[in-house]
Amino acid sequence: MAPLPAPGITRRTLLAASAAGVALLVAGCTSSPPGGREAVTNRQADALAAQLAVQEGLVAAYAAASKADPALGTAVTELAAQAAEQLDRLRKAAPNSTPASAGATSTGAAPAGAGAKAWLRAQVGDAATSHATACLDQSGARAALLGSIAAGLRGQEGRLA
Amino acid sequence: MADGSGADGTLDEGTENAALQKALAAEHAAIWGYGVVGAALGAGGRAPAATAESAHRDVRDRVEALLGDRKVEPAGAEGGYALPFPVLSAVDAAALAVVLEDGIAAAWVRVLDQAAERSTRELAVGVLGAAEVRAVAWRGAAGQNPVTKALPGLPAA
Repeated sequence: MAPLPAPGITRRTLLAASAAGVALLVAGCTSSPPGGREAVTNRQADALAAQLAVQEGLVAAYAAASKADPALGTAVTELAAQAAEQLDRLRKAAPNSTPASAGATSTGAAPAGAGAKAWLRAQVGDAATSHATACLDQSGARAALLGSIAAGLRGQEGRLA
Repeated sequence: MADGSGADGTLDEGTENAALQKALAAEHAAIWGYGVVGAALGAGGRAPAATAESAHRDVRDRVEALLGDRKVEPAGAEGGYALPFPVLSAVDAAALAVVLEDGIAAAWVRVLDQAAERSTRELAVGVLGAAEVRAVAWRGAAGQNPVTKALPGLPAA
């Protein structure tokens, strides 16, 4: 008798758990019907808006670092694009959030030359910590999104070491 | 919004436990898979695989303890697993490690989506970040580009 096929470690197997549950993050959701699991408290909505400002600050930091050190800017093009993609997903998840104030997105000036990379890495690390912390007081799709962004930024932080 | 949530659409211990069981299954698979990765890397390059395997064993133990405290029987490891592709070189091994860590990321994002307890989200976000840090290194070793991901564990928009 032929042996039973072994369960496979395949992308499909390992990713199946996530697919349905978080797919609707793409559409964003902060105003689902009352009583549903995605009902969002005012506090959660405010907290998500704050993370939008954090991410806006990070995107601005990439621009500032690239201006201060053009060679670094070339090297981090992909990372900057990913930070912008994260910002886009956050905006979709918080469509009714008001734009962040100028103060909220201010990152200060990046030091010129070699210091720009270390400065940028610190900005990325700070944003990752902020998103991870905010994730704990969210739930459902918002928690998943913030956790994923935080993880993505941890990966970026390592690349900038 | 997500499947697997409670009958009334709310998040509770049941939704959380179900997601944790799937994460535990992914941890079992990763532990097994890293044995293959380490064997293919050889003695000189085995240390990162051993470190990763140890990290996954730690997470497995934490999840099993958590579920046990809740009187839930933890999911066990499968008797065997089929590889998604032949692992014949160090590059293949790194690519397998990427598959393993990406699977872990997806499973723990799912936990974040389904969790009711803050402490479970704290566990999940820590595991998720560590998995992506490892995945970045493995993508580099596998020659993949880009090596970072904007949204680990989430499906593409």
